[in-house]
Amino acid sequence: MVDSPLPTAPLTAAVIGTGGISQEHLSFLAGRTAFGPVTDRVRLAAVCDLSPAAARYAADTFGAPASYTDLGRLLAEVEPDVVHVLTPPSSHVPIATQCLEAGAHVLCEKPVTACRPELDALLAVAHRTGRRVMESQNYRFNTAITTIGAAIEAGQLGQVREVEVRIALPVTDPGGRFGDPNLPSPIHAMPAGVIHDFTTHLTSLLLALAPDVTWDRVAAAWSRHGDNELFRHDDLDALLVGTGPDGAVHARLRFDARTFPDVFTVIVRGSGGTAETDLFQPYLRIVRPRPGGSKLSPIVNHVVNGFGMARSGVRNLGQRLVQQGQYEGLHRMLDLAYTALVEGGELPVTEADMLAASGLVDQLLSREVAL
Amino acid sequence: MRIVVTGATGFVGRYTVAAALARGHRVAAVLRPASSGRELGPLLDHPGVEAVRVDLRSRAGLVDAVRGADSVIHLAAAKSGDFYTQFAGTVVATENLLWAMGEAGVGQLVAVSTFSVYDYKSLDGGTLLTETSPIDADPVKRDEYARTKLLQEELYREFGSHGAVPDPSPEAEPQAPEGRRAVIVRPGLIYGRDELWHALLGAELGPRFLRVGAKATLPLLYVENCAEALVLAAEKLAENPSLVSGETINLVDDDLPTQGRYVELVTAVMEPPPSLFVPWPVMRLAADALDRANGLLLGGRAKFPGIVVPEKLHGRFKPLRYTNAKAKRLLGWTPRYGTEDAVRRAGGDADLLSELASPAGSQRAHG
Repeated sequence: MVDSPLPTAPLTAAVIGTGGISQEHLSFLAGRTAFGPVTDRVRLAAVCDLSPAAARYAADTFGAPASYTDLGRLLAEVEPDVVHVLTPPSSHVPIATQCLEAGAHVLCEKPVTACRPELDALLAVAHRTGRRVMESQNYRFNTAITTIGAAIEAGQLGQVREVEVRIALPVTDPGGRFGDPNLPSPIHAMPAGVIHDFTTHLTSLLLALAPDVTWDRVAAAWSRHGDNELFRHDDLDALLVGTGPDGAVHARLRFDARTFPDVFTVIVRGSGGTAETDLFQPYLRIVRPRPGGSKLSPIVNHVVNGFGMARSGVRNLGQRLVQQGQYEGLHRMLDLAYTALVEGGELPVTEADMLAASGLVDQLLSREVAL
Repeated sequence: MRIVVTGATGFVGRYTVAAALARGHRVAAVLRPASSGRELGPLLDHPGVEAVRVDLRSRAGLVDAVRGADSVIHLAAAKSGDFYTQFAGTVVATENLLWAMGEAGVGQLVAVSTFSVYDYKSLDGGTLLTETSPIDADPVKRDEYARTKLLQEELYREFGSHGAVPDPSPEAEPQAPEGRRAVIVRPGLIYGRDELWHALLGAELGPRFLRVGAKATLPLLYVENCAEALVLAAEKLAENPSLVSGETINLVDDDLPTQGRYVELVTAVMEPPPSLFVPWPVMRLAADALDRANGLLLGGRAKFPGIVVPEKLHGRFKPLRYTNAKAKRLLGWTPRYGTEDAVRRAGGDADLLSELASPAGSQRAHG
């Protein structure tokens, strides 16, 4: 790897791609975060989109001094320290490569690449140019997940035995962005089709909550249950059995487009307790031994979790009222990333994290594990 | 003329295709690639209609779609979905269309906008709304539709080099690029068959409909009147460009009813939904109070349903006056159907679509 001096804060950032997710990145860069301004670390310098109107709108709305439709021109004229790559996944590799070659770090929406070999190649470019690439694994930084992680770390759940991550979204709806037959989303060209847009979430959460497990046995059923012919798959049901420091761990990764309501549930079952959340309607339920011994623990768990659910209900209602989405972890992740870029520490999503998540997606897609 | 009609399968698009045929034009009807076109019914097989399947959100195929056209009537827009969905379907779609027109050397544009762009909150009750009334300069509290239509108008003005609207100062107006002629048309609330009960009467409230006000004049425009005006605008751009190019024109009917009168008329041809009624002043006070509470207690961050957001509420129910004088003067347009006739046609079987769908009508239109 080429050694490069630490950049001088504040860093300059550019954003390429101004679709829906861009407002989360741009609001962070514009300092509209829950934890206050971030201008001591980063300053939004430019935005870029193929649509001049979209680029101009994003620049006007989030206070970027310049907007571009040509990434090459942006890189040459603005020389950003960091580029947020928020374009469709199939364009990530060429765009990220161009940014790295121009001397910019890359913060990229998931999945950075379609497969692990592509990620290896991209990271080689980063090493050669002395720049860094980080994939957005934003849900790992949501409060519910970091709380569950802390409970595992503190041994409150005992030894982790099972992890289940389930996403249910009606992606096949012909009126939606994935199911629209008039202008098929480029994501359909990815190896897992539309589900590839979600596999990073599934695998990165599993790997974060069961970090030291070798997944020896993997079986994945990829199906199309709906009648939208754009879709190669609209359903994933994967079972994994692995070996961790404390014995066998089971996992289930699920994506489905046919059930109601929309959910993003994460359940961790340990030898000493269970924790669960839904990242779309956040709550946290932890059942574990409580003060009072085995007789009183069930009652204490009922009371604690009952109050917790009521609190979550009120909080979710408030967040719905101010139309705050489920992206709170993204701002936290970006904050950590910029701190690392300025101070020289480890990025919140490491290369090892990215390689493991991508490798596991490849494993799920391999012919050998198909059901 | 050969007229490209975008959004041809939409409510207004269907009638615009029919009106263009009725006035002896040929139509390239822009349909989305996966559209069956069934909304156009027999018009799809009319000898004067060519179906062109493209998606305006992409530039693929757009230049060929508009090549050879004398004029474009641009109706396509996204009316639902989140902001980014509507941005793609309205703003990016318009940007792509205008690019394709430039590439294909097509310079005449009837740019369809909306009354939603006006800044209703700043207008006093009873004001006469005209083309020079202020448009919303800070639409952050408006709905996605108004916000994206405002951005769309910016693109229209760049294309046709309209002067800053509503600033009418002639010396400040830039000249349109050679051959480019655009007229921005802002229709009022367009109604017609299957579209009689609308958002200017109130809002759904669970199983009931909350009617807001009865005395405000409605800025209505019957769909057949609208379609004829749009085709006339295309004709005027070709015949007398200096008269209409660069202009912005409001379209409303002649005998505009109050909300109460309109409900009476409509009730004769359809079963209205079970309704609750709240007077405009009460609704206005309630929305203002909620807005103040939001500002004081939540820093203005709460997002309430549009019916209780003052900026949106005023846009739908504030009593104003309206005029179609400029449309009549520049387009030579007179609304063919008064409100009573229009409601009767909308509630019955006979209108331009059904006339043209008949074999005799088809021959007449083509001839």
